[in-house]
Amino acid sequence: MSRASVLLQLWMTPKTIVLSLLVLGLVGVLSFATMRELGRATTPAPVAPEPARPTRPALTAAEEAFIKAMTPIHAEVQRSLMRASLGQILYKTNDLSSTELKTRMTQALATYGRAETGLRALEPPGSLVRDHERYVTAVRLLQESAVEALKMFKDGKDDHLLAAYPKSQEASDLIREVGGKFWPNEFPPN
Amino acid sequence: MIQKLLRITTVLALIALVGGLGRADVLRADDDGKRPPQTLQSGFESTDRLLRDVERAEKAPLYSAWIVESSRFMNVPFGGFQPDKAGLNTTVNLPVNVGIIEGPDHKLTLYDSGWKQLAYIFDWNTSCCWKGIRDQLTAIGHDPSKVTRIVLGHAHWDHAGQLSEFPNAVVYIQKEELKQIDFFLHYPVDFNAGHIRAVNTVDPLTGAQVGPPEQACARTPVCGYPPQTVQEILGKVLSGKAKIVDGRHEIAPGLVIHPAFRGHTYGSQLLQVNTARGQLVFGSDTYSSWTGIRDWLVANIQQTDTIQQFLAYEKCYVLTSRLNSFNNCVAAHEPTAYTSAYPLTANWWNIPQGNCSRAAELILAPGKTTHVPGNPDRVLCVNTTPPAHVIRP
Repeated sequence: MSRASVLLQLWMTPKTIVLSLLVLGLVGVLSFATMRELGRATTPAPVAPEPARPTRPALTAAEEAFIKAMTPIHAEVQRSLMRASLGQILYKTNDLSSTELKTRMTQALATYGRAETGLRALEPPGSLVRDHERYVTAVRLLQESAVEALKMFKDGKDDHLLAAYPKSQEASDLIREVGGKFWPNEFPPN
Repeated sequence: MIQKLLRITTVLALIALVGGLGRADVLRADDDGKRPPQTLQSGFESTDRLLRDVERAEKAPLYSAWIVESSRFMNVPFGGFQPDKAGLNTTVNLPVNVGIIEGPDHKLTLYDSGWKQLAYIFDWNTSCCWKGIRDQLTAIGHDPSKVTRIVLGHAHWDHAGQLSEFPNAVVYIQKEELKQIDFFLHYPVDFNAGHIRAVNTVDPLTGAQVGPPEQACARTPVCGYPPQTVQEILGKVLSGKAKIVDGRHEIAPGLVIHPAFRGHTYGSQLLQVNTARGQLVFGSDTYSSWTGIRDWLVANIQQTDTIQQFLAYEKCYVLTSRLNSFNNCVAAHEPTAYTSAYPLTANWWNIPQGNCSRAAELILAPGKTTHVPGNPDRVLCVNTTPPAHVIRP
């Protein structure tokens, strides 16, 4: 028996075999992980310097108080507008009855009326007069739209919903414009 | 000694196998009899059925596909996006991607329609690079008048804007998406003193609205839907240009909607597209992060049932199992999009006069000519100059 084969026989005990397999396994896992991480490394795109971002000017105390007073009105208007819009969609898909839609539109019209009264009772600071007027205009448009839509329950013609739509769309655009300025965090990243 | 070790190893292996099978049984949609818990029947698709959709699609025409960046959220707290990967106090910039799919008839299908809330750029000022999608399409060599369909992955404001820019296009949206908004509009305020609301959640102490990262509104199910967005959907419904679908729906051969209910919102939906690189699966915010799909991590979980998000990831794995696997899942907000780190989007360029927004060519049908410019501008930029638009800042 050669010296080499004697050494091999001495080395190949059950303990050393198990230990070797463990070590080999660990090395394998480490190699795989390293290769995977290296594989993910990529060349980043060149980046142009980022210019300083302008900041939003702070509100005055009067502006802040006015916006705070408008908040509950805004909340009710938005909720009613959503219920009216979805009511019409679900009516068209036969998931809402005509009676239920009528209830929603009637409630919405009442909400818009209350909102206009509430808005007119507020005195905006000079810097926000224009936005206040735009919001009042939006609420007026919503009332006109709701009145038109409600006509369908008198003559049974769904066409009134289509005729009512442009005004409610214009109103929702106006509300989002003013809303983005008054409540900038209202609809955060989603 | 060896025999003892072998016995222990065998027992451990058996335990691991049984455990593994148990987990798989919960997550895998094997057949109709094994619908995962709390999964709506109309949102459920078995693995077999998904594979049949792959087989059918492979016999269909091949489509070409691109994405464009509608806008970019800047400096979003990473933890709010992908909590498992975020470091403390780190932020991330997130693209908002829109899919453009061209069929053999040269008509275009959009997957999502970007955002319209321009006030964010001016007044909130945490975003950059917005450009109207019609202009983006033209700038990358497409004709916007060829857009005939818009599939809404979900109807949040940053994905379902600009619908009115395409009056002739038919919108596809899940009924579950509309029903959930309607349901949560009735969120009761009786038990929380009124400060948590479906919309317009306010600070319980000050009564003021608060913004990220303190804001709570994003966690209520209605918060991502401004009335303006719902109005635009209503416009489509009233003009007969909306298809309200309920679950799986084949739009055309090789173009299939798959439900992903609660994968992000209640009525989220995926779009399978047959291409020369296998099936692409567009996922909107259900697939917010591509690395999330690759590494099996949740992302953008505001209204998400995380198990349903994982099930939606699995739908992508099944649909792409023949070719390219997770590399063919198309994410809406993947931070590494438009780099080689997200290989599908590596062929990118800055859209000319696009206010720093980017485009990427994902795959072309055979015979199609590339839309990538000969010498593409690939220097990442951030442009805070407000774009020209009709809304006053």
